[in-house]
Amino acid sequence: MSTATVQEHVETSASGKAGIEMMTITVRIRRYNPEVDAAPHWVDYQVTADPTARILDSLHKIKWEQDGSLTFRRSCAHGVCGSDAMRINGKNRLACKALVKDLNPTKPITVEPIQGLPVLKDLVVDMEPFFQAYRDVKPFLIAHGNEPTRERIQSQKDRDRFDDTTKCILCAACTTSCPVFWADGQYFGPAAIVNAHRFIFDSRDDGANERLEILNDREGVWRCRTTFNCTEACPRGIQITQAIAEVKRALITRRVI
Amino acid sequence: MSTHVSLEPPRTGNPGRSQRYRSRKGPGKVTRGNFELYSWLFMRASGVLLVFLVLGHLFIMMVTDGGVEKIGFAFVAGRWASPWWQFWDLMQLWLAMIHGTNGMRTVINDYADKDRTRAILKGLLYTAAVLTVALGTLVIFTFDPSIKG
Amino acid sequence: MAPQIHTYDTIIVGAGGAGMRAALESSKRSRTAVLTKLYPTRSHTGAAQGGMCAALANVEDDNWEWHTYDTVKGGDYLVDQDAAEIMCKEAIDAVLDLEKMGLPFSRTPEGKIDQRRFGGHTKEHGKAPVHRSCFAADRTGHMILQTLYQNCVKQEVEFYNEFYVLDLLLHEEADGTKYAAGVVALELATGEIHIFRGKAVILATGGFGKVFKTTSNAHTLTGDGMGITWRRGLPLEDMEFYQFHPTGLAGLGILLTEGARGEGGILRNADGERFMERYAPTIKDLAPRDIVARSMVLEVRDGRGAGPNKDYVYLDLTHLPAAQIEEKLPDITEFARTYLGVEPTTELVPVYPTAHYAMGGVPTNVLGEVLADNDTVVKGMYAAGEVACVSVHGSNRLGTNSLLDINVFGRRAGINAAEYTVGAELKPLPAEPEQAVVSMVEGLRNSTGHERVAQIRSELQATMDSNAGVYRNDETLAQAEKDVKELQRRYRDVAVQDKGRRFNTDLLEAVELGFLLDLAEILVLGARNRTESRGAQAREDYPTRDDVNWQKHTMAYREKDGEGGYKIRLDYKPVIVTRYQPTERKY
Repeated sequence: MSTATVQEHVETSASGKAGIEMMTITVRIRRYNPEVDAAPHWVDYQVTADPTARILDSLHKIKWEQDGSLTFRRSCAHGVCGSDAMRINGKNRLACKALVKDLNPTKPITVEPIQGLPVLKDLVVDMEPFFQAYRDVKPFLIAHGNEPTRERIQSQKDRDRFDDTTKCILCAACTTSCPVFWADGQYFGPAAIVNAHRFIFDSRDDGANERLEILNDREGVWRCRTTFNCTEACPRGIQITQAIAEVKRALITRRVI
Repeated sequence: MSTHVSLEPPRTGNPGRSQRYRSRKGPGKVTRGNFELYSWLFMRASGVLLVFLVLGHLFIMMVTDGGVEKIGFAFVAGRWASPWWQFWDLMQLWLAMIHGTNGMRTVINDYADKDRTRAILKGLLYTAAVLTVALGTLVIFTFDPSIKG
Repeated sequence: MAPQIHTYDTIIVGAGGAGMRAALESSKRSRTAVLTKLYPTRSHTGAAQGGMCAALANVEDDNWEWHTYDTVKGGDYLVDQDAAEIMCKEAIDAVLDLEKMGLPFSRTPEGKIDQRRFGGHTKEHGKAPVHRSCFAADRTGHMILQTLYQNCVKQEVEFYNEFYVLDLLLHEEADGTKYAAGVVALELATGEIHIFRGKAVILATGGFGKVFKTTSNAHTLTGDGMGITWRRGLPLEDMEFYQFHPTGLAGLGILLTEGARGEGGILRNADGERFMERYAPTIKDLAPRDIVARSMVLEVRDGRGAGPNKDYVYLDLTHLPAAQIEEKLPDITEFARTYLGVEPTTELVPVYPTAHYAMGGVPTNVLGEVLADNDTVVKGMYAAGEVACVSVHGSNRLGTNSLLDINVFGRRAGINAAEYTVGAELKPLPAEPEQAVVSMVEGLRNSTGHERVAQIRSELQATMDSNAGVYRNDETLAQAEKDVKELQRRYRDVAVQDKGRRFNTDLLEAVELGFLLDLAEILVLGARNRTESRGAQAREDYPTRDDVNWQKHTMAYREKDGEGGYKIRLDYKPVIVTRYQPTERKY
């Protein structure tokens, strides 16, 4: 196994910041290509990195300069599309929001797929079970009665009530950090509950009872063990555990406030 | 530039592992209902009650009237002559056992990923719980102070 | 192995804002499939921040005619005014529709949709900035994308996720009329080829920002839709007009919304001077993007840039109340903190123009129908969003008008495509319809060449950044043209390392690079050909607008050059003028 090396030399970094000290880091990636590998295995790569750059930049450097077969999803590269959730140094994060300097680059940085979803290749997992749970909570506005001609009126206070959960980008970092989800994948998972919360607490919505009934399932909110993994994993800083607690409270009191 | 390293056995992506698709629930298989809600509420309520019951119990046993040395057959016989203490201990027994069993049930649900393992573990758990509760209840109500140790 | 064939009425390619808005309409009226390279919620619509303009007049007096005027003037009079009128009129319903679908807009004290100021949007024909942009903090695009996806879930729209469309199937009748017949797609998960037959095809694949190095665009924005259309012999319009957004995080290109200036943010040079007062005395920092981006470049060129290399300027938010920044601009403050380690409430944020938006694209009429020349429609073929050129943005798009474009013309394309399918029939497929795709994909997979995709791409991006950026001249454009041609030649020798079938993103990037090279060439050629400065096209050697010779759209055609290759022929299309005669553009 290779030892960690930190060679420091001055170069102009990719982001054009002058005088940034580039460093050589080891990225240890869990590779698995079902077409050739019997089982997943770890591979170490050495790359030069700007400490203020993203892990995604290092993954790209590996793919573009060393091994083109390295496979991962990415798109926007600044934390709004949710493509590149992966487990980095044992924690779920977006590769485009994890900076090299925050990851103790003196040791190998481990990168593996998010857990609890079937791995298709390298860091790419099958997202279908995740999206199925999302679809199951009816994540859309249900409004009865006549539509107004103009917009529905909503006070800024009512709008703020569910602001936190509107931030979700469906990256699955939360759900795949949840030990209850890891067990058998039947639990709805934090992301689905967050997206139910977003509508349950929207003053314009009339579907709260339907959604609460769905989450009263054996695999619903009651399986949450408040381990806070989801809240820690969320790249958008959503207070997920609190949102789940609010859904539980709404189920017990049958009141949405 | 790359080296292959072999570490611990695979945690994800093992082709041998069962696929984790959420099962589609047919109309015949209703898993909604208030059972989990009541179970969750029970855990909170019984937890709070147990704090008072168990701490009270420990205080009486360990601290008052000369501490733990006082406990003997006669002491127990004396306490269970009173319906109040019978009720206290019965509550402790039932709440603690149901609370613990329910907790174990959720642990099994969380960590046993095969249906068969789950069924076996839960079978053992429920049997043990029922036996303990039955035996304990029997002793509380049928305790005969006239037997001499 | 024979490809699988799927048959639908309407096939939508792309699931960003325009694709999903179209799907919501067409799936109500016809059997619709949406094919997308990415999971729908990954689309780059979600990265839009500042808002969507509509003259709701919720905050102050406003009307759609002023909005139309601003759009036409913002586009430096290259806007087709009939289309701009439609867009600005339908904007109001487009916003209200989104609200009814559940979009959580920020609210006024009365509980109505809140509106903020935005670059180039004014009242009374340029008198003062107006509150017109409807927003949800600085996540308006995210909310639009989520809301549209939520409604697609509600309507059970059929998605084919991670299906990469690589070819367009057209059918030509004996009389020369062209019809859409379907598309050919590569399923990323398996590497299998699928054929989708349909009566109508809607392209909604977005832009091609990845021809530039510094860009606000996602890695996946590689002009696929424009590329396949182009390769099937259909023209592209106004490709030389590529917008640079003034406020990208310096060096990274990550977008900081114009809404930051709408909320009161100010641009400053190294001396701390509010330099926009010199360039646009009336609306200053809220001038249209082309003007602000050029001013920033001039400041840096004149030595008033900040930082160790004097290569950026500052966005100053420090005078705004911290609570306002947290409430109205939470995401961009986080970007500045995360990626530059700068605290926007107390520090100045380094910014520099970043490649942002293609005004040009596949020419369409106001119904969303794709044009084969200046006025002949390709039957059953539609396009909407950044991939299309209606043209509502002319030579420079106003901020927020892209979110408007996708909603208004996405909806129009969806309705019109579905209605077309009712009376239409499936057109026959060509023999071996998958053939072109198979030979392209297998050619790349089995190539024994020595060129690497990443190398060619980074050289392409480097030459485009330095030679076809905010300012251009004949010399730089000639250099870019030469470089692109050389890179195209080297691309023929490109090889991929991953020879597998499943999730072969190595192969995917090689295909994408092919499209980028095609589009870069058209961009450069168009820019070199247009000897004037207008909107986003700023020629140092031709610094003024020339309405006599250039008040017209560029139409690029791909034609056989007689030597087995292809060449680009440039032609023109008149601009539709209704109310507003071109005048000098002053802010």
